[in-house]
Amino acid sequence: MSNVKIKSKNLNVYYGDKQALFDVNLDLNEKEVTALIGPSGCGKSTFIRCINRMNDVIDICKVTGNIEMDGMNINDKDLDVVSLRERVGMVFQKPNPFPKSIYDNISYGPKIHGKGETKNELDQIVENSLKKSALWEEVKDRLDEPGTSLSGGQQQRLCIARAISVNPEVILMDEPCSALDPIATAKIEELIDELKKTYTIVIVTHSMAQAVRVSQKTGFFHLGKLIEVGKTEKIFKNPDNKMTQDYITGRFG
Amino acid sequence: MNIVLIFLITIFSVSLFFYGKSKTKTISIKDDIKLNALPKFYGYYLVLWCSIPALVFLLVWSLFEPVIIKSIIIETAANQGAIFSDKNEANLIYEKIKAIHLGTFFGDIDSILKESALAYAKFINLFTNSKVVLIFGIIIVSVIYSLKKIKNNNKARDDVEVILKGLLFVSSLIAILTTLGIIFSLLFESIKFFSVINIFDYLFGTNWSPQRAFVRDASSITAAEFEELKDAFGFIPLIAGTSFIAFIAMLVAVPIGLFSGIYMAEYASIKVRRISKPIIEILAGIPTVVYGFFAALTVGPFFRQVGENLGLTVSSESALAAGLIMGIMIIPYVSSLSDDVINSVPQSLRDGSYAVGATKSETIKQVVIPAALPGIIGSVLLAVSRAIGETMIVVMAAGLAANLTINPLESTTTITTQIVMILVGDQEFDSPKTQSAFALGLTLFIATLILNYIAQRAVKKYREKYD
Repeated sequence: MSNVKIKSKNLNVYYGDKQALFDVNLDLNEKEVTALIGPSGCGKSTFIRCINRMNDVIDICKVTGNIEMDGMNINDKDLDVVSLRERVGMVFQKPNPFPKSIYDNISYGPKIHGKGETKNELDQIVENSLKKSALWEEVKDRLDEPGTSLSGGQQQRLCIARAISVNPEVILMDEPCSALDPIATAKIEELIDELKKTYTIVIVTHSMAQAVRVSQKTGFFHLGKLIEVGKTEKIFKNPDNKMTQDYITGRFG
Repeated sequence: MNIVLIFLITIFSVSLFFYGKSKTKTISIKDDIKLNALPKFYGYYLVLWCSIPALVFLLVWSLFEPVIIKSIIIETAANQGAIFSDKNEANLIYEKIKAIHLGTFFGDIDSILKESALAYAKFINLFTNSKVVLIFGIIIVSVIYSLKKIKNNNKARDDVEVILKGLLFVSSLIAILTTLGIIFSLLFESIKFFSVINIFDYLFGTNWSPQRAFVRDASSITAAEFEELKDAFGFIPLIAGTSFIAFIAMLVAVPIGLFSGIYMAEYASIKVRRISKPIIEILAGIPTVVYGFFAALTVGPFFRQVGENLGLTVSSESALAAGLIMGIMIIPYVSSLSDDVINSVPQSLRDGSYAVGATKSETIKQVVIPAALPGIIGSVLLAVSRAIGETMIVVMAAGLAANLTINPLESTTTITTQIVMILVGDQEFDSPKTQSAFALGLTLFIATLILNYIAQRAVKKYREKYD
C-alpha cells in the first residue's frame, strides 16, 4: 500500500449560493492513478480544481473544509498559490497550447520559475519533458513551429509535456481524452501508465473503460457527493453501493 | 403636392393590407382551399405592389420634371425674343420667370417675361396634372395585377421575399454608388490639379504655400507663373505634420488605452467595469470641436506658460497640445477595442498558464497579450487612421503654417487642416489652389484606406485563430 499524497477532509465547495461539493473525504495515493467518475455536473472537476486552487480564478467560488498535500494545508489563505501550482500540474479537457512555438510552450513554465538558467539547461528540460510525454520523436525537428499546428492528440501531449516541464509531484487531468480520437486516446493512456511511475495522477473521465484501463483507485461522484471510493477492480466488479452499480452498468449518467 | 400624393399612397397601401388579408381569408374559407401563405403575406404583397411602383415613379418624375420644364421654358423665352448669350444668362432668365410665377419678383416685368411666366404656369399645371393621373394609373394597374395574383393563391410569402431582397439590394447599391461618386469627384478634380502641377513636385516638394496660386486661372498660366507655382504645392510638410501629430497622439493613446483595456478586461470587477467602461466611452462621444476648445484655450496656453517658465519658446498653437488632446480623444478607441480583443482570448489559455504556476501579470504579459496582439495592432491602426483624419482639434490647436519641423513646441499643420483652409471662403474653382484640396483629399483617402485595410486584415487573422 502506497503513501497518501493528498487528503481531503469534509471538503465543501460553493459557487455563489449553489453548493457543488458536499463533505468530500478522499485520499489520493502517491504514484498511483486515481480515476474520478460520475455523471456530468457531479463535482469531479470541481474537486480536482481544489487541489491546485484553480477555483481561485472564479470569483464566486468558495471552498471550506480541509485539503492537505504531504500534511500541508492547501486551503491556507497564506499559501503561495504559485508554488503550489508548480507542484501540482494540470491538463485540461480541451488541448490549450499557447499561441507560441512548441519550444516556448514547454519552456514557459521553467522560465517563470527560474529553472533552466542557461539555454542548455532549458533545452534539456524541453527535451526531457517532450520525451516523457512521448512527443519528442514527432516534433524534435520542428520545435520552432507553433504549438497550434500540431494535431489534437499531439497538442494534448504537448500540454502534458508543459505540465511536467516544471517537475510537479501531482498531475491533475480533467477529461484529457474527451476531445481526442481513439488512437490519440490510446497513446495518452499508455503515457499515463508510464507517468505514474514518477507522478501522482488524478484523472477525471467519462469513459468507464478508460478508468478501468488506467487507474488503480476509483471514486464515484454523484450530485456533489462522493458516493463510493475504492480499488478500481472492486468498484467495477463488486461495488458496495447500489448507485455505483447502476452507474457503471449504464443505467443512468 | 408630392406630400399629398405620398400620403394618399400610404393610406391606400394600408387599406389594401387589410383588404388583402381579409380577402384571402374569405377565399380560403369559401372555396375551402389551403392558402400558400399566411393571410398577412397577401396583405404585404398588395402593399408592396401598390406603393413601390408609384413611389419609384414619383421619385423619377420629381428628378426630371424641373430639368424638362426648364429647357422648355428657356426655349419658349427664346422664341418670345429673349436674348441671352450663354448658359448663365439663360439660367438667370429662367430664375426670373420662376420668381414672377411665384410672385416674388420685384423688377420690371417686360412682355417677354410675362408671356414666358404664363407659359411656365401652364406647363407646371400640365405636368402636375399628368403626374397625378399617371401615378393613379400606375397604382390601378399594379393593384389589379397583384389582386389577380392573390386570387390565384400565389406564393405571396416567397414573392414578398423576392421584392424585399430587391429593396435591400437597391439600398446597398445606393451606398456603394455614393462611395464611388465621392471617389470619382475626388479623382477628377485631382487629375485637373495634376495636369497643372507635376505629381512628383507635389509628392516630394518640401514647401507648401498654396496662397501663391490664389485667383489664377489654370488655363491662362504663363510659363513664369508656372515655374513659381511649381514648388508651391509640396506635400512633404503636410504629411510630416500629420504623421508627427498622429505620432504624438499615439504616444498618449496607445499606452493609456491599452493599459486601461487590460485593466478592464483582466482586473476590474464586474461592478467597476459596468461603471467605468461607459465613462471611458463617453470620451468618444464628445464632439471633436469641444476637444478643440480645450486644446486651444486650456492646454495650449498652459504649455506656453510652462515653457516660458522653463525658458523655452513655445508657440501658443503647438503640435504637442494638438497631439496630446487628440491622443486623449482616441483613448476610448484603443481601450474599448483592445478590451474586446483581450476578452475574446479563451479562458483555457489563461488556465493553462495559471496551471504551471504563472501569476496573473505573467499570464497577461506572456500569454494573453501575445495571443491578442494581432487584434491590438488592428485597434491601434484604426486609431491611427482616426488620428490622421481628425481635423477640428488640429485647426484649433496646431496652427496653420506648414512648417517642416520636428519640434513639438512649434506650430505645424496637417492635411485635413489645409483642406479646410483652402476651401473656406470664396473660391475660384479652376485655380490650382482649390484643386489642390481635392488632391490632398485623395491622398488622405488612399492613406487611410491602406491603413484600414491592414487593420482589418490583422483583426480578421486574429479572429480566425480562435473561432
